[in-house]
Amino acid sequence: MDFELTDEQQLIRDAVREFAESEVAPTAAATDRDHRFPAELVPRMAELNIMGIPYPEKYGGAGGDYVSYMLAAEELARACATTSVILLAHCSLATWPVYHFGTEEQKERYLRDMASGRRLGAFALTEPGAGTDAGATTTTAVLKGDEYVLNGSKIFISNAPYAEIYIVFAKTDTAAAGTRGISAFIVERDTPGFTVGEAEHKLGIRGSSTPPLYFADCHIPKDALLGGEGNGFKVAMQTLDGGRIGIAAQALGIAQAALDAAVGYAKERVQFGKPLAAQQAIQWMIADMATAVDAARLLVYRAAWCVDNGRPYGTEGAMAKLFASEAATRVADRAIQVHGGYGYTEDYPVERNYRDAKITEIYEGTSEVQRMVISRAALR
Amino acid sequence: MKIVVPYKWTCDPEEATARADGTVDWSRARPGVSTYDPVAIELARGLAQATGAELIGVTVGAKGVGAAIASKAVLSRGLDRVVVVEDDSLKDAGRADIAAVLAAVVGHIGDVDLVVTGDSSVDVAAKMVPTTLAGLLGWPAVAEVAAVTGQPGTLRVERAIPGGVQTLEISGPAVLAASADAVTPHVPGMKDLLAAGKKPVEHLDLASLKVPARSAVMTVTSRSRPERKARKGQMIDTKDPAAAAAELVKALRGAGAL
Repeated sequence: MDFELTDEQQLIRDAVREFAESEVAPTAAATDRDHRFPAELVPRMAELNIMGIPYPEKYGGAGGDYVSYMLAAEELARACATTSVILLAHCSLATWPVYHFGTEEQKERYLRDMASGRRLGAFALTEPGAGTDAGATTTTAVLKGDEYVLNGSKIFISNAPYAEIYIVFAKTDTAAAGTRGISAFIVERDTPGFTVGEAEHKLGIRGSSTPPLYFADCHIPKDALLGGEGNGFKVAMQTLDGGRIGIAAQALGIAQAALDAAVGYAKERVQFGKPLAAQQAIQWMIADMATAVDAARLLVYRAAWCVDNGRPYGTEGAMAKLFASEAATRVADRAIQVHGGYGYTEDYPVERNYRDAKITEIYEGTSEVQRMVISRAALR
Repeated sequence: MKIVVPYKWTCDPEEATARADGTVDWSRARPGVSTYDPVAIELARGLAQATGAELIGVTVGAKGVGAAIASKAVLSRGLDRVVVVEDDSLKDAGRADIAAVLAAVVGHIGDVDLVVTGDSSVDVAAKMVPTTLAGLLGWPAVAEVAAVTGQPGTLRVERAIPGGVQTLEISGPAVLAASADAVTPHVPGMKDLLAAGKKPVEHLDLASLKVPARSAVMTVTSRSRPERKARKGQMIDTKDPAAAAAELVKALRGAGAL
């Protein structure tokens, strides 16, 4: 069993780390404080071909593997969780369904721009009454001649104000029960009848803009249908299967940042005549944190390896997200504890790690959903 | 036009730790491209893009310097190809030995118009290789180079000097040592990293090179550290900020720090 990264994976990790440390980290605190979407980083990431690492070069991607993509997501999250989720929402949630379910014509029209990062994407599944219960979708898409007419609303849509291409899920068959009768569509920005609402202020990932979307008699061409009528739930679930590995990588990056901060602080802060790092209570906290981060790393990259090697990855991705997200919250909590009172102030980054970590237990499938997926596999 | 950029694959002392007996533990340090070599590559790349020059990386050293990851790391930064001399006899080679092998490789490549080096290596920081190499090649050496433009035969070089910038025109091949902050190396893109493994890497046998004989051998006979001065532990009462500032200035002047 070889646990080493390939040369290319190591170099990609190092290059993204270099970019993250020099260009992302310096503005991370302000991005969080001002609830500001770091729009200037998107073209920079596009320039470095980070926005479409796992997609083939013929479609505008970098031609890399999923492990490399996850390494990039982790390194970005280590510097700024907001920047990481901008990439993940675009690459895993918006671009992936076009790549996997799109017709050649749809790929020609959209994929090159998305995989290259020229046009940002968003994934619009969640509704006010349909979170974990995606089958409760009430947005409708009615076929009228050569067009579908969309009516309804979505909430918590990452990248929405800055995206140009939206993957929107709507009921094409309102008589079908539950998750049946949902279809996926590619909707372009500025389509009449489609508006983006005001973003809400959140506990964490404050720079990630997640406003609602409104569809009021929004007419889209018939060929905007993605993946066939009635296949929307399958499109959504398969997209999220891969997307949750990315969230696991984001959680891992947040946890690593919190651990690094705690280790640095413990070595420098002197109390009772010696550094905190010499105190056994702190040593054991650090040991638990380091073990949790390493275990999370193994789960994340095992899941990514499954993607690269054509193995099933639904359960593996769920395990990675469940563990890494809960580890991130725990590690960030302990990191604040190591910092003591200073950790509770905005002068130290660990309070941001703590606030950023929580969402990783919720979006792209809550921890409860991951437990359902894992137990279903374990109890087969 | 051919531009050669020597680079070093080595460990950063920041990642090493000192043992209680004063020796250095390198076991946890990960090798990488020496910190200032990407600056040299970037500086040379700018000239190569303007002139259409071929950009050739060269590295010499013990086993490991020719590792695929080392070549890919520099090729991804814009080099067209690399030449590697990997020989364990170079494990403890001094700066003059390294410069001699580099000179032989430059001769092997042939028709080289320019050599651009980093300011110094991150681990040794001797700043000797550029000038020694230039001496062996019979070329001028210029340090602290901030910019280079022009064509072979009419190179224009800017270098930092105390209080300003000096501009030189060089009519033939030269060795330029880029200043540490001459340019900011670009971050390699993902496509460049993935394509690096497809670029040519030539491995040369040390025994086959015409390495110039050295006329003298330099050996480090001893090292010493300045004696640690005991801390004075001088406390300044800050109840009155203005008085405290005055007392601090006086103390710093007395210590020769101001």
